Amino acid sequence: MIDFGFYSDRQSRSILQKLGDMSWTLLFLIIATCLVGFVMLYSVAGGSLEPWAGRQIARFFIGLSLFFIVAIVDVRVWLSISYPFYLFAFVLVVAVEMAGTIGMGAQRWINLGLFQLQPAELMKIGLVLALARFCHGLTPQDISRPLVLIIPILMIVVPTFFVVRQPDLGTAMLMFVGGAGTLFVAGASWIYFLSGGALGLLALIPAWSLLRDYQRDRVLTFLDPGRDPLGAGYHILQSKIALGSGGMFGKGFMQGTQSQLDFLPEKQTDFIFTVLGEEWGLMGGLGLLCLYFLTLMMMYVLALQIRHQFGRLLVLGIALMYFLYLFINIAMVMGLVPVVGEPLPFISYGGTSMMSLLISFGLVMSAYIHRDIEIPRRPGAFG
Amino acid sequence: MAARTKKSPMELGARTLRSDPRDAAMDALTRHAIESGRNRLVVAITLFSLCFLTLVGRLVDLSLMRQAEEPTAMHTSATTAVTRADIVDRSGQLLATTLDTGSLYADTREITDPENTAAGIVNVLSDLDYDDVLRQLKSGRSFYWIKRNLTPRQQQQITELGVPALRFVPEDRRVYPQGPLLSHVLGFVDSDNKGIAGIERRFNGLLTDPARHGRPLQLSIDVRVQHTLRDELQRGIAEFSAVGGMGIVLDARTGEVVAMASLPDFDPNEPGAAEPETLFNRATLGAYEPGSTFKTFNTAMALDTGTARVFDRFDATHPIQIGRFSIKDHEPKSRWLTVAEIIAYSSNIGSARIALAAGLDRQQDYLSRFGLLDKSPIELPEVGEPQYPGTWREINLMTIAFGHGIAVTPIQIASGIAAAVNGGNLMPATLIKRDPLQPVAGQRVISAETSATMRQLLRLIVTDGTGRKADLVGYQVGGKTGTAEKIGGGGGYRRKANLTSFASVFPMSDPRYVVLCMLDEPKATKKTFGWATAGWNAVPVARHVIERIAPMLNVAPNDTPDQRDPALLVAFKQ
Repeated sequence: MIDFGFYSDRQSRSILQKLGDMSWTLLFLIIATCLVGFVMLYSVAGGSLEPWAGRQIARFFIGLSLFFIVAIVDVRVWLSISYPFYLFAFVLVVAVEMAGTIGMGAQRWINLGLFQLQPAELMKIGLVLALARFCHGLTPQDISRPLVLIIPILMIVVPTFFVVRQPDLGTAMLMFVGGAGTLFVAGASWIYFLSGGALGLLALIPAWSLLRDYQRDRVLTFLDPGRDPLGAGYHILQSKIALGSGGMFGKGFMQGTQSQLDFLPEKQTDFIFTVLGEEWGLMGGLGLLCLYFLTLMMMYVLALQIRHQFGRLLVLGIALMYFLYLFINIAMVMGLVPVVGEPLPFISYGGTSMMSLLISFGLVMSAYIHRDIEIPRRPGAFG
Repeated sequence: MAARTKKSPMELGARTLRSDPRDAAMDALTRHAIESGRNRLVVAITLFSLCFLTLVGRLVDLSLMRQAEEPTAMHTSATTAVTRADIVDRSGQLLATTLDTGSLYADTREITDPENTAAGIVNVLSDLDYDDVLRQLKSGRSFYWIKRNLTPRQQQQITELGVPALRFVPEDRRVYPQGPLLSHVLGFVDSDNKGIAGIERRFNGLLTDPARHGRPLQLSIDVRVQHTLRDELQRGIAEFSAVGGMGIVLDARTGEVVAMASLPDFDPNEPGAAEPETLFNRATLGAYEPGSTFKTFNTAMALDTGTARVFDRFDATHPIQIGRFSIKDHEPKSRWLTVAEIIAYSSNIGSARIALAAGLDRQQDYLSRFGLLDKSPIELPEVGEPQYPGTWREINLMTIAFGHGIAVTPIQIASGIAAAVNGGNLMPATLIKRDPLQPVAGQRVISAETSATMRQLLRLIVTDGTGRKADLVGYQVGGKTGTAEKIGGGGGYRRKANLTSFASVFPMSDPRYVVLCMLDEPKATKKTFGWATAGWNAVPVARHVIERIAPMLNVAPNDTPDQRDPALLVAFKQ
């Protein structure tokens, strides 16, 4: 029914067969991660489903149904809408930028009533799709040609520029590094990454002048949190204190003093890892890192079994984004990178992040379910 | 899969032989890509694992190596904090201050008699629920937060309960004794006492600067005037069922804001409880189409450049038709009007003709001089950008002449009007009290003679034109009304929804203060005979304000009749 009949595939399967073919291990890992999130949100609210855990669970179920729908649809459908999807997301990002200029202050989302749509989240998915679509069927030699490579580079840089201006530094960083990483896995020559890195270091100097005051403040405070212990450095110091107070096994469920007592700002969103560290200690933190690591490894294992380059790059690109997501957040709360305001995937309270993650994993699963399908090097009308 | 890729060296060889069948070559290419991709994957996985190891290392480091600091850290941060300085008005009245409070918590493991303790707590803190407190006290948790920010008296009463397990954490609390009176000016702080809106945010660094030793920040605001302005605006909003309103009292000579109110407002003591729309500062953040008030600047431009004199006549017999637009007058005189009549009767057609005679360049030059094309310099984070057409055509030239097709913030209007009447100098608007011994040099906008003529014209509007309801005996009020239709959802104007304003100045013989009042969507009432234009609502509100604040501001009534310029007598015959 959802099979989009125009692809009469040799091994045309029923929905049930497709579900049987999917990687239940990966789904199990995702659900386990989400469960940790629900428990943490329950605890942060002082042992109550209100105001966070209950809504998060509801969003999870909506997202999970999207996950299944996306997974069942033939991966060639996703291939064919890669570019339109990318363009659509890009238009939304620009629209928000315009609306933000006309209105006042930073505006990152469009209100859809039920939840707020952050175009930057769609942009991340669109970027991976479009890059995978572009690199599909290209050899490393092809990709390494400057005139070819310039296209995916523009595909990365242009939307990143708009997201930086929103200003959403975390997402921009994620898109840029994630996109570059996808090109790296696709086989673009080493030379570009080495020279790119060198240029990046040089570009730091003018970039400094483009940062907003508060962003500069964050970087300086990151280098020395004691510089402003009650202002911008407060988050990081409190976060470190909370993590440090957890010890080996933590203070126990709902017993974290720093987090339960409002000393910790943003505890239900960006700084939720701290709550985990405080209440469940080192073991809890390591456990969650373990879950994330297994999820990533599982995605690699799936990628290796996919026979078309589009699917492989899609899975790897999403894996990369997922990794950066969690790395930026955890490194941030532990004071390893500046505070940029990225949520912890599947754990932090937030609707858009949950939706876009589950949709991304749906794409991973679609690529895996349809791993044996042959996709010609130059497919379809949208090519 | 594995078996296939194992063969790749051979296939790589095959690829170099160009004579191979195309299919095989494609296959080889694909596999080569896979092969290369795998090497890249190994690199990527290694990098990921290294990153993960870094995270693990840091986590172990934080969790196990740095334990002891917790209990002290929070307390030291609270006590080392510099107490946030007070904010006072121009005469030293307290507007914002910081109180030492204590926050109450309990170590419930040490509570021996939870029932009596809970009863005692609820007796002192009557807003808490007995059952809730009791349940928490029995929970056995080591740290239960009972209530934050207790007053000294409450702390004393709790201490008198004699329960050692009840303890206090000292915490500062920002208090605004005037409540909502100055909500948009002062702004508010977050739970960590960091300024996040208004003056509190703009001067966050200064207010917490240890080098100032807690010296209060003195604003140009006068609480008495502020109270009057807010009171009259509230009354006006209620009388005309408006959705909101805005008022500014500005010292015409120095640019100091003596009062500024935007309604509806909120209580900065409880910013969390405020409706989001009440946080909006209409006076500085809202950019509105000014309507006819803009004719003041149009006239000043024409007089100052010499493109028109007060007695020069312009054709206002017929509406001007340009494409699908048509410029009409609300109360058409259908004849040629002098410049004085155009501003007194608020003729759109005449204003457009005046602008046409002066031309695009002059209009832009003068609007820019009056500070209407740049963001107001007032010291608030919430200041709106003026909005005007990117490419300025003839149609814009004509509509901007009567204040349409351009949007500016009320504070810009107030500053501009001050410059038009104070001898021609634009003073940057400020919320900080100026030192009278160190006068700030203004920027020359128009000549002193033009400014003198503008005073006469604005006075004429109140004696004989649309502002008659503001003619207070003795205070020689002058000013210009403005009624703009609000922009509707479809991009057009909403006929029934007006934004009415009155930019007034008193006393006209030697202008001291600008009073700008604006009502958002006022409705017609029986008393206004079905009218909802500025002359019927914004003007009386401004009149009541001036009537009450003039004595406070030491403006003595003056009964001498107006001295009309001979040129004006020619230009305006009643």
